[in-house]
Amino acid sequence: MAEATHGLGGLKYDPAKRTRAPEWNVFAALVLIVLIFEILNRMQGGSFLFNMRDNVDGLFNQQRLDIMILQVAIVGIIALGVTQVIIIGGIDLSSGSVVGATAMVVMSFAQTATVNGNPNPKAIFGDWAMDLPVIVPIAIGLACGLFAGLVNGLLVAYTKIPPFIATLGMMVSARGAARWWSNGQPVSFPTETFGTLSNGDLLGTLTFGLLHWPGQNPAVVFVVLAILFHVIMSYTLYGKRSYAIGSNEAAARMSGINVDRHKVLVYAIAGVLAAVAAVLLTSKNLTAQAGMGVMYELDAIAMAVIGGISLAGGRGSILGTVLGAMIFSVIISGFTSIKLDAYYQEMVKGAIIVGAVVLDQWRQRKRARG
Amino acid sequence: MKKILIVAGFASLMSTTAMAEGIGVSMALFDDNFLTVLRNGIQKQADEQGLKVQIEDAQNDVAKQLDQINNFIASGVDAIIVNPVDTSATQAMSDAAAAANIPLVYVNRQPINVDTLPDNQAFVASNEAESGTLETIQLCDNWAAEGKTEVNVYVMQGELSNQAAVQRTQDIYDVIEAGKCKVKINVIDQQTANWSRDQAQTLMTNWLSTGTAFDGVIANNDEMAIGAFQAMKAANIDMKTVQVGGVDATQDALAAMQAGDLDVTVFQNAAAQGGGALEAAVKLSKGEAVDQKVYVPFELVTPENIANYLAKN
Repeated sequence: MAEATHGLGGLKYDPAKRTRAPEWNVFAALVLIVLIFEILNRMQGGSFLFNMRDNVDGLFNQQRLDIMILQVAIVGIIALGVTQVIIIGGIDLSSGSVVGATAMVVMSFAQTATVNGNPNPKAIFGDWAMDLPVIVPIAIGLACGLFAGLVNGLLVAYTKIPPFIATLGMMVSARGAARWWSNGQPVSFPTETFGTLSNGDLLGTLTFGLLHWPGQNPAVVFVVLAILFHVIMSYTLYGKRSYAIGSNEAAARMSGINVDRHKVLVYAIAGVLAAVAAVLLTSKNLTAQAGMGVMYELDAIAMAVIGGISLAGGRGSILGTVLGAMIFSVIISGFTSIKLDAYYQEMVKGAIIVGAVVLDQWRQRKRARG
Repeated sequence: MKKILIVAGFASLMSTTAMAEGIGVSMALFDDNFLTVLRNGIQKQADEQGLKVQIEDAQNDVAKQLDQINNFIASGVDAIIVNPVDTSATQAMSDAAAAANIPLVYVNRQPINVDTLPDNQAFVASNEAESGTLETIQLCDNWAAEGKTEVNVYVMQGELSNQAAVQRTQDIYDVIEAGKCKVKINVIDQQTANWSRDQAQTLMTNWLSTGTAFDGVIANNDEMAIGAFQAMKAANIDMKTVQVGGVDATQDALAAMQAGDLDVTVFQNAAAQGGGALEAAVKLSKGEAVDQKVYVPFELVTPENIANYLAKN
């Protein structure tokens, strides 16, 4: 093998080593973790994935499978945008705060006039903003996200300040805006239609009643968006440009890509995805609070990193991030299923984030050496 | 002599400016809904009296809070109100304020040095040992009224580093120990959902996925209780078959109680605590004496007396 390879400075290129996509490693880790929890559950007389109840049908524990997608769907949607930002060599720290600010604004336009026959005790605006068609809060929400994303993108592309700083500024400012909006008071009691955005049966609507998955709309949106962006990143000019910029920005500029404009576009998309997450989160919880979305940006970045996205840019895929999100989720549900405390969850989560990157680096070096 | 005159001159300058500085307030966390009601209670009381208050957010950071207090002292405020981030880190705050002879009032969370406070410092709050006790006893009564003798429950805790979360959870076990509960309670599992509705939803769904039969959820606050029943409703559980209890009596919780989803909550008068703290601070800054421990009582809220609380929080 060694004599057939060539390269500079001892670096060898071996096409045989490229056949296995890095996503397979993440997938293998996911399977391994699921297996560990299955064994731990079996030791306690239960099961992690399989249905052990007599009064419920099915081979699998459907409820647990559902919650495992649902509980990471909203952060997962953010992670789709963050992944794209990381692929172009940037970072977005603002998404959690953008969720918080957007949530407050969205819910203010989604309120219903009467609660149990009384006037809405949490009303933000007057009667004119009550019982608006559901498209109004959605449109206003997406506009908020777009605005935040555009500001991030313009700052990064045209002032040349590091993305870490630009989005850190947005993180702090947007959180301030979320608190200022209603003096920190929660905004609650949306219209019934707004509540169905997350709690309805979107899959039923999309498939004209062929399939049903009620109460799982954030999961449906997450899966649809993940497939959409995986295709976009893999097969379109937009995706190719993103990887080119992340791999070598100077070379991308030389080859005629309008790097600045593309950056603005990517940050704007990340902002809109954060807004989508905010709409779904407020609809799911039927409330908006200034503290919503705290730490979501870091969870999203962690999902991407676990999924094999390189913080140096240019490497990784949306599929990787989805797998990273699933690893996250399996840990949360796994620890609850064996009744272990939250302390351990966080300690293990931290270890897995670091472990994933260490493994990835090690594998990359090994591949480079041949 | 000259020196003394200069010092005296400065002192008089400082004292005249100090009177115009108003009252400095350091809140543990702006994001917290309950503390927001409390904060607005302080603000409202101050506005009514035409007082200037400067309210800062310590963002759950002990070091930041101490810095804020020292900044208040440096700018010569008339009095300081502190809602401590960490109740075991209050000695340094008391010392700093005492050294500058500025009155200090702790609000909502009991400082560790509550029994050794200097004369011009005070503490205004509700006694957390009441909240979880009222909640648990009422839930027990409800179960007993349903004819149950033994119940399986889940316990949802607030942030584990928070004294209220620890105390309210302890209250549950104290009620059981003391035999004040009419039914036998078995705690199936006890986990934290960090006071959050979203995390409570997730936690409850995970619990539901274990398929264990249960009779109710005892939550340390309303937001988590709401998250718990939202998850149950999503799983098509009839809310008449389970008892769900929380603490705080927020507007959202009261609406849920009217809708028949929430069974018990406990009202902690946040606005009264905020107003009481400001009153104590004003009195202390004028050199008047106040009670060093002011307790605002908790009040049980059930569907029977809910009407009295709809306009309170």
